[in-house]
Order: sequence, then structure tokens, then C-alpha cells
Amino acid sequence: MSSSTVTRRSFLRTVGIAGGALTAPAFVSRPARAQETPSPIGVDPSAKRGGTLRYAVHNAPAHFDVHQSGTVANIGPQSPMYDTLLRRHPKDGQTIIPDLAWKYEISPDGKVYTFHLRKGVKFHDGADFTAEDVKATYERIARPPKGVVIPRTPLFATVGDIVVVDPHKIEFRMTQTRPKAFMLGAFASGWNIIVRKKTLEENQGNLRQVMNYPGTGPFRHVSRKDKEIWIMERNPNYWNKGLPYIDRLEVYHLFPFTPELGAAFLSGKVDYARLLDPVSWRKAKEMPGVTAAVFNQSVIQAFWTNMNKKPFADPRVRRAIHLAMDRPTLVEVVKDTAPMQTGGFVYPFHELSTPRLELEKRLGYQKDMKPAVQEARRLLKEAGYGNGIRNLDFVVRDLPTFRLWSVAIQAMLKEHLNIETNLRVVQASVWFDEAQAGNFDLAISAIVSTLMDPSDYFTAWYGKDGPQNYSRWTNPAFHDLTSQIDRELDESKRKTLVRKAEDILEQDPPLIPVAWEQIYDAFYNKVHGQNPSTYFGIYDVVRWDQVWLAQT
Amino acid sequence: MRKYLARRAVYAVGTLLGVSLIIFVVLRILPGDPLVAILGVEGHAQMRPADRVRIMADLGLSDPLPLQYGRWLVDIGAGRLGRSFFRGDTVAELILHRGPISAEIGLLALVISWLVGLPVGILSAYRPNSIPDGVARTLSVLFIAIPGFWLGMLIVLALLFWFGYKAPIVIVHVWENPWQNLQIVIGPAMVLGLAQGAYIARMSRSCLLEIIGEDFVRTARAKGVREGRVVFRHALPNALLPVITISGVLLGFVLGGSVAVEQAFGVPGLGRALVTAVIERDIIVVQNLVLLYASIFVIVNVLVDLSYAWLDPRIRYG
Repeated sequence: MSSSTVTRRSFLRTVGIAGGALTAPAFVSRPARAQETPSPIGVDPSAKRGGTLRYAVHNAPAHFDVHQSGTVANIGPQSPMYDTLLRRHPKDGQTIIPDLAWKYEISPDGKVYTFHLRKGVKFHDGADFTAEDVKATYERIARPPKGVVIPRTPLFATVGDIVVVDPHKIEFRMTQTRPKAFMLGAFASGWNIIVRKKTLEENQGNLRQVMNYPGTGPFRHVSRKDKEIWIMERNPNYWNKGLPYIDRLEVYHLFPFTPELGAAFLSGKVDYARLLDPVSWRKAKEMPGVTAAVFNQSVIQAFWTNMNKKPFADPRVRRAIHLAMDRPTLVEVVKDTAPMQTGGFVYPFHELSTPRLELEKRLGYQKDMKPAVQEARRLLKEAGYGNGIRNLDFVVRDLPTFRLWSVAIQAMLKEHLNIETNLRVVQASVWFDEAQAGNFDLAISAIVSTLMDPSDYFTAWYGKDGPQNYSRWTNPAFHDLTSQIDRELDESKRKTLVRKAEDILEQDPPLIPVAWEQIYDAFYNKVHGQNPSTYFGIYDVVRWDQVWLAQT
Repeated sequence: MRKYLARRAVYAVGTLLGVSLIIFVVLRILPGDPLVAILGVEGHAQMRPADRVRIMADLGLSDPLPLQYGRWLVDIGAGRLGRSFFRGDTVAELILHRGPISAEIGLLALVISWLVGLPVGILSAYRPNSIPDGVARTLSVLFIAIPGFWLGMLIVLALLFWFGYKAPIVIVHVWENPWQNLQIVIGPAMVLGLAQGAYIARMSRSCLLEIIGEDFVRTARAKGVREGRVVFRHALPNALLPVITISGVLLGFVLGGSVAVEQAFGVPGLGRALVTAVIERDIIVVQNLVLLYASIFVIVNVLVDLSYAWLDPRIRYG
């Protein structure tokens, strides 16, 4: 036998060494402690410490319950005080990394998510963070008590039992499998902050009027002036040692897309402004020492057609209206009011959706409107409305973008299809009353999703009883596809299913997409550690623990 | 005088009760669901009927309307003024924090309106149809015609783009930092004051012109009284009564105008709080702030009436 031959002895020795190497840590060392398992967001050796970051974002929150909120008015000022189980890495806003859970495991059948929680983490009131807090938080999110409404509840619809295995280990047992990216995205959402079990118990599960409830986050509450400012200070006991870098965070409540916000930034009253109006943003971009960033928001701007009204029950009429929209012009119309981009029924920048170049070759998205308008007219004629439609009630939500769009859409419908509409501009609260009651022919507004994954918004926006399906649209083939998309674990098969779903939506539109929102941020270059250009939405990377100031 | 005061007080209370009833009813019959602002669009869409019942009960909105109204009156009597639907802050706290800024703006606007309006009116009346009179009349018409919020926005943008300047963005009270406080209030006060000053200029001009033509003025001149004394000692006090009356009315315009002007300048005063509350449909805040504005208007007008007796000894209240 040659020397390279594997003998019984050498085989056993190799296996023995390998096995020993793999199992030794379990015997030699103590179980991994959370603080010994550093966060992927480590300390940047070049970072400077200290200083005050002045951050302007949105107007003041209507209440203080982050779980019950759907607006950055809460996320903006409150998130720096809390942590989540997982989070998105601030370097790109996409990669999911550990947070209060330093490790997670997914069972091979995808039905059990196990989270290993950090030890030694303390809430701001000094209490220890344990799995009981995670259980109380997620029980509330997945199954809110009466009088508590949490927009993220549907994300956890398939969460069955939440089991505390030990004080630092918790299992989420699913009733059905969901794609890993979807579930991990749900756990990493910035909305799902971990709050104390005791806090929830003391307030009967409702934190709407509890201004300062303890979190574990990098900043602690100092003071707040309603509709003006929320001041926080560095949490000296933060579990991620060395973070945060800045000593003080001042969050200013300034209305988005307003000259007031723009003026506050351009005059140097704030260091970082989120949701700038395009005019101020362009001005900021020209300023030396300023970075102006643009990124995708998790919002579609659209108008709905009431399926319970006769012309709109016919998919040909809806497709004709869809094709009659000159989308590049619609984006142009609001270019000084809010940043937008064109797109269809699925996030136009998502890996599962039709690529933009391909989309722009389709009718309804081409720059040359002629073929789309011809087809639209043919469809309308075929549906029996060749002479157009009169006196449609077009309910417009009273915001500058919708007011501008409604006039442009009114003109496009008249010019391309001889459809005449009467605009009815109403306050947001009235809009939702009318939309939910079905008191409209056309109604324009915007809707938001938590995740980019279609399994989040296909049900909410286009589902048979979806809360934002204002058209009351149904399409059995689509609903069946949605169900398959929700359960399919193979990404390439999922992509095929999503493309099929897109085709259905194109032919039988549940809403008419107007544009997809973008976000304009600007910050002075002394602010380091934040690069929002690849972020999705403004609800996930919101903690400021990694940000530092060059001049303090 | 006491009888008169008592009667005016009763009228004032009656007026305010009427106002409170109108505000209360209007806010409750207006379309729109306050829960949209509380729960947000997504939350509102997901709300179950049982959630709605619970939240409406928590907010006290499911009680019968007379009970809600009675409770509000009791709250006013106790000085609590209720709590914001949303964050739970008391309206009294809101008024105490933001009221001083709005009061400063209002008072400063009133002072500016008199400081500008009265001299311009006197100048115009003293030399009617002269070039200064023409300039003054043109400017006064201009300031009456220009909407305050628009002028405010122009000033904000001009200061920003020419000088890179913006007033402080959070409230700084006069006792905390008078200089910063002045930067906050001066812009809105100027815009409101100049608009009201234009009214005062026009009113004082026409009143003075009328008085200057009276016999007692001619007599004073015939007696050799110096012109300045004729105008300031004899004519002006007699011309002031209508100007004071209009000042009371103009205060209503200042209060109303401050809502839009505070918004334009981004001043976090009561006017801005009112705008936000209307947008949010925070009806407890709206009804209390509107009632506060109405109360100020009523009280100022009572004071204006009382000042007549002081200014004109011929007037006696029985």
C-alpha cells in the first residue's frame, strides 16, 4: 500500500480530530454569552466621539405607540431608543444582521424560528431584557388586544406559538412556512421594537399615550416639546459597547416636503434632513460640504377605480385607463413637490419584478404614448364606451401631489379616452371614509408596505379582502398565485410566479399605478456612518448608533 | 358703570356659550374619521369593529353628545380644557407653552400697526392729495391686498437665499433668550402689523380729514393755536375713537391671520397648533383653541367699549 492510502487507523484519527475540533468548544468553554458575540456593527476606529446630531424628520407623532403607528413621525424620533430582534445593516439598508438576537436558526422545514438572545442587556429603567419581553412584544404584534391596531400584524399571520425556551432563547412556531427572506425581513423591520413585558401589562397593551416607555436602544429620552423637538442622550449602558458615538440626539419635528424643512437645513439649523422637497434638495446638492442622497421609498401612488360601479367592473375599461396614463409626464408634473419614479404594480426596483428596461417596452410605460392610447381606445370601444364616460366622481386626497396629479389625470383621461371626471378634493380622514364606504368612482392616494417582498403587499393591496384594496377587486387566478407565492420557498420559482401575477395585474388592474415614491435626504458632510442611497424606505435604518460627527 | 360692566359680562358669557356650542356641533358633524390620524392609514384600514368601539369609548366619543358637551364645559370651568386625543397632553399645557409666543406676535403686531398706521394716516390727512399722501395710500392698499402668509413665505425665502438665515425652529421664550425670541416673533408681527397698520392709516386719515374740517378746529386755528397743537391736541383725540374701534375688530384679523402667518414663518405658536389639530382632527384641541381665540376677541372688544368712556368724557354708561 502506498503512503497516500487511507488506512483504518489514519481514517479514525482524522475523524477523531475533526469531531473533537467541532465538539470541543461545547465542553471546553461556557455557552456563548451575548456580550461576547459582538454585533456586526462594530466600533469604527476612525470615528470621533461626542457632539449633538440635529436631525429633522416629519411632524410630531399623533401618539407614542411605535407598534401601532404607520408613520415615520413615530419611527423618526422614537426608534433610537429601542432595538429589534434583527436589523438591516446601516451600510446598505438591505443586509439582515443580528441585533438583540445574536444568532437565529431556522428549522429545515422552515416552521420554527429560534432566536438566541443577548445576555446582559438592560432596559433604560435598569430591568433585564429577557425572552419574556420578546414574547410579550410579539404576542401583541401578532395578536393585538382589543382596541390596539398594529399594521404589521399580517406579517406574522402564520406565527402560531411563541415559546420561551429559556430566558435567552425563544422559538416562533409557524402554522405555515413562509419564504425565509420574507420572515427575516419581518423580524428585522424597524417597527417591531422590543418593549418590556411589564410596560405592556401596566398599560393594558396600549402605549398610545405613554410618552417615555423604556427600551434597550442606544439613546435615552431626555425631554420633548410637543410638535417641536425630542431630545435624547447617549445610553451609557448600551449593550453594543463603544456605541453610540454621539452624546446627544435632537430630533426636530418639521413637516415633510415643506420650505420650512428645507430652510432649516439650508440655513444650517439641522445637520441632517429627511423628506426634503425637491427644490430644497436640489439647492442642497449644489452646496459645498453637503451630501444629497436619493433612495427608494416603500410607497405606491395610485388611483383606484370602484369595481362596484358599472364601467369599472369590466377589466377592459380599467386597462384602458391604465394605458392612457402618461407616467413620465406624471412624474414630471410633481417634480418640484415630491420625488417620484415610474413603475407598475410591483416595486420596480425589486429583484422579483420585471426589470425597468423590459417594463419600459410595455404598453403603458413607453415614452411614446401613441400605441398605448390606440390600444386603450380600442379596449374602451370594445367594452361599449367608445364615446367615453361622463360625470365620474374623482375623490382627491388633499395633498399637493394629489392635487397636481388629479388635474393631469383628468386631462389625460379626457384627451385620450373622452372620460370626464369631476374632482372632489377632501381631507385625508374624509378620503379614507369615502374610499372604505365605496363612495367614489376614482380615488387617488398612496399606500405603503413594510417589506419589498410581494408576500407583504400583494394581500394588503390586491388581496380579495385586503385592507387597501379600495377597488374591491377580485381575480381568482391572482389570489391563487398569491397563495403560491406566499408558500414557495424556491426563489427562482417565486420569481416566475410573481411575473405571472404581474401579467394578470397588467390585464386586469386592481388600481392604476401613478408613480413610486422616492426619498430625498441631505446632510452636512460632518455626519459620517450613514449612507442611505441603497436604503428601502425610511422605517428600518433609523437608530443613529453608527453615526458620528467629524466636528463636535 | 358697574351695571354696564355686569351687562357686558353677561353678554360676553352668552356669546362664548353660543360660540362653544357652534364649535362643538360643527366639529362633530364634519365628515372624516379622527381615528385615521390616530391609527394612520394602514392601521385604520385594519381596524376591527370591536377596536373602533373600544377606541371611541377610550376617547369619550361614544358618549351622548350632550354629555360630551357638558363634560367639556366642566373641564373649562376647572381650567383643565381637556386632553389631546392623541398624545394625551393637556390643552392647558399647550396654551401655556405656545400662548406666550402667539400673544407676543399679536401684541407686537398691534403696536406695529399703530406705530406705522397712525403717523402715516396723520401725514396723509395733513397734506391730502400730496405725493406723500399718494405714496401712503398706495402702500396701504398694497399691504391690505397682499395675503400675509404669502408675504411671510417671501420674507422667509428671501432671508434664506440672500443671507442663509432662518429664525430659531423651536420656541424660545422672551425670558429665556430675548434676542432669539425676537427673531422668532418679529417676522410674523411685522407682516400682521403692516397689514393692520394699512387699515389704521386709511381709517385715521379719513377720520382726521373729517375732524380737521370741523368748526372747533377752525376756531382753534383762528385763535392762533400752533398747527401741531391743533392736530395732536384737538383733532387727533377726536379722530381716534373710530380708529380704536377698528383696532378691536382688527385684533380678530390678527388672531385669524396669525394662523396662516405662523405657518408660513414656521413659528410653533398657537395658530400653528390649531392648523395641526385641524389636520389631525384632534377635536378637543381645536374646540378649546377656537374658544380661546373667541374669548380673546370678545374680551378685547369689551375693553375697547370701556376705553371710549376714558377717551371721550361725553360718553357715559348707564
